[in-house]
Amino acid sequence: MALDDLLKKNSVRSPWLFRINAGSCNGCDVELATTALIPRYDVERLGCRYCGSPRHADIVLITGPLTTRIRDQVLRVWNEIPEPKVTVAVGICPISGGVFREGYSIDGPLDRYIPIDVNVPGCPPRPQAILEAVALGLKIWKKKLGLEG
Amino acid sequence: MDTLLGILHMCIFPGGIFALVIGFFFKGLDRRVEARLQRRVGPPLIQPWLDTAKLLTKETLIPKTACTQAFLLAPVVGFAGMAVCAAFIPVPGVFDGLSNMGDLLVLFYLLPIPAIAMMMGGSASSSPFGAVGFSREMIIMLAYETPLLMILLSVAMLVGKSMSGGDWGAEFSLLKIVEWQQVNGSLGYNPVMIPAFIAYLIFLPGTMGVAPFDIPEAETEVVEGPLLEYGGPLLALFHVGSALKTFVVLGLGVAMFFPGTIGDFWLVNLIWFVVKCLVLMLISLTVVKSATGRYRIDQAFRFFILVPTMLALCSLLLVWLI
Repeated sequence: MALDDLLKKNSVRSPWLFRINAGSCNGCDVELATTALIPRYDVERLGCRYCGSPRHADIVLITGPLTTRIRDQVLRVWNEIPEPKVTVAVGICPISGGVFREGYSIDGPLDRYIPIDVNVPGCPPRPQAILEAVALGLKIWKKKLGLEG
Repeated sequence: MDTLLGILHMCIFPGGIFALVIGFFFKGLDRRVEARLQRRVGPPLIQPWLDTAKLLTKETLIPKTACTQAFLLAPVVGFAGMAVCAAFIPVPGVFDGLSNMGDLLVLFYLLPIPAIAMMMGGSASSSPFGAVGFSREMIIMLAYETPLLMILLSVAMLVGKSMSGGDWGAEFSLLKIVEWQQVNGSLGYNPVMIPAFIAYLIFLPGTMGVAPFDIPEAETEVVEGPLLEYGGPLLALFHVGSALKTFVVLGLGVAMFFPGTIGDFWLVNLIWFVVKCLVLMLISLTVVKSATGRYRIDQAFRFFILVPTMLALCSLLLVWLI
């Protein structure tokens, strides 16, 4: 059991990030991919890495208001992410719908379908806020692993 | 008794645990140096260990349409192949290598095993990205195996000719090659072998699958290709296999080109060997990786056929003629 605890304790130092675009206008994606996670802010020092496959992901960052067309694909990809995973909603769109709220093609907010762990409001959010969300996500991940937060 | 000793060598000293520690250390340092070259802080040196620990705590998902046996077997095959391979690497002044007869040929056959395991896993995962990754892995493997064969042949022929007194001959024992170099000077300083050494430096990023030759696992094009469907402990096994492979290819390079020793004390020689591997890695993998983008598969194929193959062929012809 000691080995198991050791693995769990160290596993939170290697969060791999995965992005899902659920019909975003690309504003949050730009903040996320090209501002928050570039060398200037260097999330790699936390052990983060972008991964291309949902099967490798630990922290999933979802942008966009969840349009009707993309809903099933998003749910399918989200279900393919192995447990334990942390879900972060980036931008106001997945939280409430933002400017697209009550639009005919919008099926959000996201937490009708997916349990969200961290919300990052903003249109788009600041890079620092996104980084803080990743750090908060680590705490939630710890709780999910059964370690104290 | 010999069998037992062989298994010990595969599990503990040059193979298995030792190669894993060295391989993970190299991988961590590689990421750190790359980050520093790009003016970042970079992950801690133990990041590969942390990644492995993380992957071991995740659940394993197997796709419904996958061929389960092949899917589960592939990472084990890749790992086992490299653990055996590592036992054949002589550490000059410390360890002579598992076999002293024709081990260069054995290494040539064993080295493509991780690539083959990757192809096996990719095609067994029944994912279209895995299939694309499979075909790319296949193409790039064919491209880099040709120069590798010529490099090994030119090394073997140079040493063999000299040992048999100028006649035709080839020496396929790595231990004898290392011993010959300790008497007659390292091959890396031999003008005839310099093209082959450069070809080996180009072969390294190709076989390790790092930029600019990370085409089969290109994240932005084929979302990690063959590794797409792997997760959890199986992916960890692939990473461990890749760390072992780092040790194997770097160790082979040092044994073939710069096997000099300092003194007789084994610890000093061991550290000296690791330092040489490290320098080889920094110049051929890390610096190249942090400064380049990614080739297209056809460009990479043409490049491998044109540049390293021709360089290795130069060395081979020179060895043959002189």
